[in-house]
Amino acid sequence: MTEILRVNGVSKHFGGLMAVNDVSFSINAGETLGLMGPNGAGKTTLVNLITGKYLADSGNVQFMGHDITRMSPYKRCKLGISRTYQIPRPFPELTALMSVAVSALYGKDRVNQGLEDAATEATHYLEFCGLFSKRNVLGKDLTLYELRGLELARALATTPKVIFVDEVMAGLNPGEAVKAVRLLERAKEEFGVTILWIEHVMAALMKAAQRVVVLHYGKKIAEGPPQDIANDPYVIECYLGSCHA
Amino acid sequence: MELEIKREKIVLRAGTQKFEWHIEPRYWRNPFIYIGILLLATVLVYFFSPQTLPTLVEANLLAAIAIPLGWMTVGTGRMNFGPQFYIGAGGYAAALCSIHLGWPPAVTLLVTLVVGLVFGLLMSPLSIIAGGLYYTLLTLLFPLVFLEITFIYTDIFKGDTGLSGIAPFLSGGSYTGNQLMICLLSLFIMLIYMFIVDKIMRSKFSASLAAINDDEEVAEAMGVNVKKIKIISFAIPAMMIAVIGWFYAHYYTTLSGISYLPLSFMLKVLMVSMIGGRVQIYGNVVGGYFIAFMELFLISVIGDMATVMFPVILLILLLSLPEGLFGLYRKRRYREYLPTLHVRR
Amino acid sequence: MLTTIETMLVYTLLLGSLYLLVSIGFSLICGVLRIFHLGYAYIFVATIYLTWMFFHTLGLPLWLSIILMIVVQAGIAIGIYKGIVARYVKMEEKIITGLLLIAMIAQEAANKWYPVQAAVNLPTTIIPGSLVIGGTEISYQLILAAAFGILVTVFFVLFFLKTKTGLAVRAISYDINTSKIMGIQVEQIYMFIMVVVLLPVIIAMLMIAPVWAVDPWMGWGYMTTAILISVMGGLGNIRGTIIAAFIIGLTHAFMAFVIKEPRLMNLAALVVVVIMLLFRPQGIAKTESLW
Repeated sequence: MTEILRVNGVSKHFGGLMAVNDVSFSINAGETLGLMGPNGAGKTTLVNLITGKYLADSGNVQFMGHDITRMSPYKRCKLGISRTYQIPRPFPELTALMSVAVSALYGKDRVNQGLEDAATEATHYLEFCGLFSKRNVLGKDLTLYELRGLELARALATTPKVIFVDEVMAGLNPGEAVKAVRLLERAKEEFGVTILWIEHVMAALMKAAQRVVVLHYGKKIAEGPPQDIANDPYVIECYLGSCHA
Repeated sequence: MELEIKREKIVLRAGTQKFEWHIEPRYWRNPFIYIGILLLATVLVYFFSPQTLPTLVEANLLAAIAIPLGWMTVGTGRMNFGPQFYIGAGGYAAALCSIHLGWPPAVTLLVTLVVGLVFGLLMSPLSIIAGGLYYTLLTLLFPLVFLEITFIYTDIFKGDTGLSGIAPFLSGGSYTGNQLMICLLSLFIMLIYMFIVDKIMRSKFSASLAAINDDEEVAEAMGVNVKKIKIISFAIPAMMIAVIGWFYAHYYTTLSGISYLPLSFMLKVLMVSMIGGRVQIYGNVVGGYFIAFMELFLISVIGDMATVMFPVILLILLLSLPEGLFGLYRKRRYREYLPTLHVRR
Repeated sequence: MLTTIETMLVYTLLLGSLYLLVSIGFSLICGVLRIFHLGYAYIFVATIYLTWMFFHTLGLPLWLSIILMIVVQAGIAIGIYKGIVARYVKMEEKIITGLLLIAMIAQEAANKWYPVQAAVNLPTTIIPGSLVIGGTEISYQLILAAAFGILVTVFFVLFFLKTKTGLAVRAISYDINTSKIMGIQVEQIYMFIMVVVLLPVIIAMLMIAPVWAVDPWMGWGYMTTAILISVMGGLGNIRGTIIAAFIIGLTHAFMAFVIKEPRLMNLAALVVVVIMLLFRPQGIAKTESLW
């Protein structure tokens, strides 16, 4: 298992609040790493730091041999990092097809790709996510489940090496949730991506993740296979209450 | 760079990038008809009422300002409320070169292009650092400050009275003949701008413009180099608008900041955009002609009250037309590039 | 004899308070209604010329003219709110264009019926004469206007911090949807704000009219300053606006007395604002709220 992403002691504070406090971990190629923690633990902030929305106050991030701590988000995307958003952020005035085509066009520097070629590629990803019939629907008119699928299609279209998936199942009914999880599994098989999965639903992480990292108040409190995490007394205390940061 | 013309496509390859445009002759019928109408109208006006030629020139120029402004709006994701700054910059550059250095219009055109590009590049970082409302306010203020500068440094800019003695486009020959030539030149400029912006909006570049317009942050996360595109989308339309300043300078042979820099002119341009449905390029042409002719109509019919009635009528139009005049006609297509100003902090 | 620095400081206080009076309404509208009231300039014009119309053309006594003018302006403000702002909630460009058009109409109408030659002159002097401080002479009217500036600001701050309506306004400026759910009458508060912001400008104009010249285009000078101050202070934040008003006052006083180039005042203020935005894009305000 080769390591493709390594996060070393990153911290980020907003005013007086330490959102992420000296977190270190690494991701190996081809695995699914779960990221857990109560609300406000800093999971999304950590992902924002790695994908480039915020710049870390300290620490560094190494990806495939590059130091990406200070890189702009679009350069990180071209290197192979992609993400979905917890509250879906589609392009409201673009159709599903055009949204994914944008990713296909700009996700990587490709040779000889025109708009049509990108649209053709986009249909492939849309069809994988089951959205082919909705390709001409504007982003603002899609349902939540379709939006989640669009987020994934858009992230996949940049042909990433790592995808940061942020709470795929929030707001979906049980049937849709199961389909969403299976979609992620199929994406891994078909496109060979590595996934870092932020999730609250333990059951899904138990089955899908090889390793889990748990954050609490911005600090990493546990890391390991899901079974060990589920039995870790400190983690249980944090989730059930009476825990100090 | 190579250009390949296949049976139904034009393919432009630059380095490793490929740009394609489809050639669909069945869709050419309408544009050719409209261009024909515009040309015919110009010629007819020349024969039957040559004193209306200046209005046609004004209409063409207004449209030629609104078209690159549409590109700038989509590409930066914000509305520039001070496009007339570049008209002033380009116009004064051309005027000063013509008066003090005696250069002919063709040479001052090059100067204007350079000046427009320089100012556009200098001010483009504003579109990156300033958010929605701040950007609007600052772009609003720049022309007003420029106007103040023209008053302050009166020896150079001749504030109130304006510069005069700029070389005209054509001298000698019949007056109306020259007017016709100039009118055709303005039409030509407008059509070129229309062509350029239309081709950009139909190429793969437009996907990134639409993405930035909708959600900059997500676009950047998907690999779009937002900063580069914003700078291009600011600087090049700025250059294009500066050329209109050049045209005004040589057309009227006098140039005074007070005609173009205050808000009254900006409102005209804004209304051309609004009536034309903002980024709809063909709509801007309709808007330009509408505003120019309405002004003519108001001044000749109502005379004195025109300055008051003009904004009143514009207000009524604004309130009663949801998508501009052009929107009444156009069917809704699924790709729309309409920017929205959100009060972001 | 006061040195240049001291004259500059005196003028900083004076100009800062005056500008505060003029800009606080603009900042409030931006922060609460979340729209750009680019037609703010019409209030300046309307104050002077409506009063003049009632006073001079219709021959009514001054106090009645002023009251009528306030009533008419309140009506116009509510009309503008209902006609333009409420109709185009999501299409900000339409709102901005509409408000700009209103400002243009007001100015053109004023220019048509009372051009500069008509010698509009409002006898609203409360304290005639002037105070001599050091090398400069400052009219008492201006000092009174500056004092009003501070008073009005204090009044607004107390209002927003201590009263129930003020609390409602602050809630709206944070989050409009939650405010609606909590039962706040958003429409009424909006209309209230649009009328309330008229008052500082009316006071300012009536105080200043006898001292500084009036003409139909005067609104834009003040509005430019109001815009610069609001942008620098962080839109809608009263604390930031206060600080920004004095910084801009300082800049203008500096340009006028130390550098001795009063014509470059606005340009200097613009440069200062742009530089500040480069370092702190959200303005001076620490929070996004009203206070």
